[in-house]
Amino acid sequence: MSVRDVLSPFAAWKHLFRDPVSIKDPFNREASERYRGFHQNDIEKCIGCGTCEAICQNGAIDMLPVSGVDGVQTRPGDSGLRPRIDYGRCCWCALCVDVCMTGSLSMSNAYKWVEADPDKFRYIPGVDKKHWDDYEHGYRRPEGHRLNAPERIEMPELEPGERIDSFAEIVGGYSVEQARLEADRCVTCGICVATCPTHMPIPEYISAVRDGDYEAGLKLLYDSNPFSQICGKICTRRCETTCAASHEGDPIAIRWLKRHITEQVPFERYRAIIGEPAAATGHSVAIVGAGPAGMTTAFDLARLGHKVHVYEAQSHAGGMTRYGIPEYRLPFDTIQREIDLIVSMGVEMHYNTRIGADISMAQLQQDHDAVVLSIGLWLGRSTRVPGSDHRNVYKAVDLLRRIRDGEQLQAPKSMVVIGGGNVAMDIARSMARLQQQQHGQIAITLTALEDKSHFLADPVEIKESIEEQVTILDSRGPQECMVDDQDNLLGLRTWRVHSIFDENGRFAPSYDDGDEMVHEGEWVVEAIGQMSDVAILGDELTEKLDWNRGRIQVDEDGRTSESWLWSAGDMVRGPDVVHAVADGHRTARSIHAHLSALDKQENA
Amino acid sequence: MMQSLYDRLKDRFNLGEFTGRRADLAFVTVSREQLRPLLLHLRDLEGFTHLVLLTAVDWIEDDTFQLTYLLNDRARARDIGVRLMLPRDDTQMDSIHDLWPTAATYQRELREMFGIDFPDSPRVNEDFILEGWVDIPPYRREFDTLRFARETYPERPGRETHDPATYMKQQLYPDGEDNG
Ligand code: SF4
Ligand code: SF4
Repeated sequence: MSVRDVLSPFAAWKHLFRDPVSIKDPFNREASERYRGFHQNDIEKCIGCGTCEAICQNGAIDMLPVSGVDGVQTRPGDSGLRPRIDYGRCCWCALCVDVCMTGSLSMSNAYKWVEADPDKFRYIPGVDKKHWDDYEHGYRRPEGHRLNAPERIEMPELEPGERIDSFAEIVGGYSVEQARLEADRCVTCGICVATCPTHMPIPEYISAVRDGDYEAGLKLLYDSNPFSQICGKICTRRCETTCAASHEGDPIAIRWLKRHITEQVPFERYRAIIGEPAAATGHSVAIVGAGPAGMTTAFDLARLGHKVHVYEAQSHAGGMTRYGIPEYRLPFDTIQREIDLIVSMGVEMHYNTRIGADISMAQLQQDHDAVVLSIGLWLGRSTRVPGSDHRNVYKAVDLLRRIRDGEQLQAPKSMVVIGGGNVAMDIARSMARLQQQQHGQIAITLTALEDKSHFLADPVEIKESIEEQVTILDSRGPQECMVDDQDNLLGLRTWRVHSIFDENGRFAPSYDDGDEMVHEGEWVVEAIGQMSDVAILGDELTEKLDWNRGRIQVDEDGRTSESWLWSAGDMVRGPDVVHAVADGHRTARSIHAHLSALDKQENA
Repeated sequence: MMQSLYDRLKDRFNLGEFTGRRADLAFVTVSREQLRPLLLHLRDLEGFTHLVLLTAVDWIEDDTFQLTYLLNDRARARDIGVRLMLPRDDTQMDSIHDLWPTAATYQRELREMFGIDFPDSPRVNEDFILEGWVDIPPYRREFDTLRFARETYPERPGRETHDPATYMKQQLYPDGEDNG
């Protein structure tokens, strides 16, 4: 107040009715909008990755099981754990909010909480309900503010123009520097491990990349997957779909980092790193089919000291990886190195040996303590639409095998592929290469039942097919392979798909016959699924075995109703390399337990 | 504006890297010997009369501390940051409190948080904010905050935690394999 105010007191009256500057009730004042107060967590969004716990420099966070609360459940991609915060330790730094992989964690601007029991100041945000759970204000990670890089390090690849006229491998592999940067994006939470069918120790081997300890990395790979080089190139990488980093960015390139490890260790070192097999047990096991399931079983059993004989109808091992997957995705020498390694454990290979023709199942049963049937899915299914028995209507698996067997196929000038899975993409892209080489131009139409958002193929396959000038049409149902009077194939007639499944979820496509198209093609190739050639088993064994809708019935461990016979791989689980590897491990463990029990009986 | 300043400076001083961030903000790197003459020159001849701050960064990978002296030229509304690289194993630095008295406070903070010493700087060895600190200076990157917190502040009883991958294995595939 100035002297004048004192002298003329009325002058001060004008302030009389103004709001006071001081706060009436300082105890109930809202904190500033971005104040860092008690935490909030959207527990449906949170995946329980524990990255918040790992970053907290005060050790204020625990991860606790909350299964059952508000639909939270331990399942692929969600640990079912949620962070609990101890406010006796928290310093409100918000590092946990800044790092949160899903953006579920934030802080309200609530800052007042009076309580007599100190243990109350430890709670699970979002689970233990608080009145600030729905506060609008508080600290949220600012837009664009990230502690970890959201984008994947790009993989060097051949451009479409460079790759279209050859079967050269497309993917180049990371350099050490690129791999380290990519590995650095991984928060090593391990959420992905449960999703990997063979549960590879993913965070551990990614850490090995980060540390540059490739030999340790390789050991981790081969202890869980003897097809690591192959999976490093063509795995369906289910793990990446549940990666914590995928919620707010690209998933870690788990597959490429696996590949990187296998490329950094000189192949001559592999055997020493993996180690010697155990002493011979005297037991002998026969395996029919040298694909991933059979060879994984062989690898595990041989390492345990059992004698393993593998019978293979083809001239090379690898199964569908050798005869089904095109070379531009998986070169021969990668497969051969993998097989050599497995064989070096003492596995005996019998190539060009067909069950039923060259040796019988009965003979195998007689000569061995256990037999594994892992013959895969080599017979292509047919659409059975009219005209599909024409000589120029092919099965994708047959063509792929002929190409990989080195046969010089004469590519047709135009061609239609039926199917929307990876096999359809494989044959379309292989034939595109042959067309380019032989005719200088590509004319391939791929028709799939599914709409674009439900394609079964890997999105990368679809993208690269389009880059390679394959015309992809979705929601088209095959009606007829059209043949003219001279018995020439003209192409495929399709209708637009209404729906694929009926209300009971059964496969029963319905069509809109008003939307008809004819796709020109000298060939039509069916890539709609495969079956197993179980005829080789012979009548007697077929009669004895239990069956389930055309598949051999097996128990959890892959054992059939015949106590000496196991079955594994695609023929049991459906087509997928890494599932076949997991199945091989399971089968080997079951057989090993069986053989150990035999030993015990003998000793008793 | 900053480029011409740099051109003038580089004839007199042996300057390292120059980075112009904005039209009114740039950084130069200087050697320890030339720090003082450069600061004096900037203050008395170029109009950078105000020391905005003095701070440090620990580049532990390169075995150096980076000191940054940020100066402001009020009249022309521009800033210059003078950087100086100090080896991590020789952390004695010349005090500039006689150029700007406020420097003494920054130097006292740097002494406490990074262990960078400024002999002769007033009260430099007195506790600043860390009363009774016994560990290594906490802004040095080798300081393990979590370990310090664990050792210094005892846990309340009743804590437990779970590793996500291990917990998921227990719940989803306890025998090592699932049947998916
Ligand atoms: S980092 Fe985020 S998503 Fe992960 S557990 Fe913590 S709160 Fe949940
Ligand atoms: S705010 Fe900081 S101290 Fe508190 S729980 Fe989060 S990371 Fe830990």
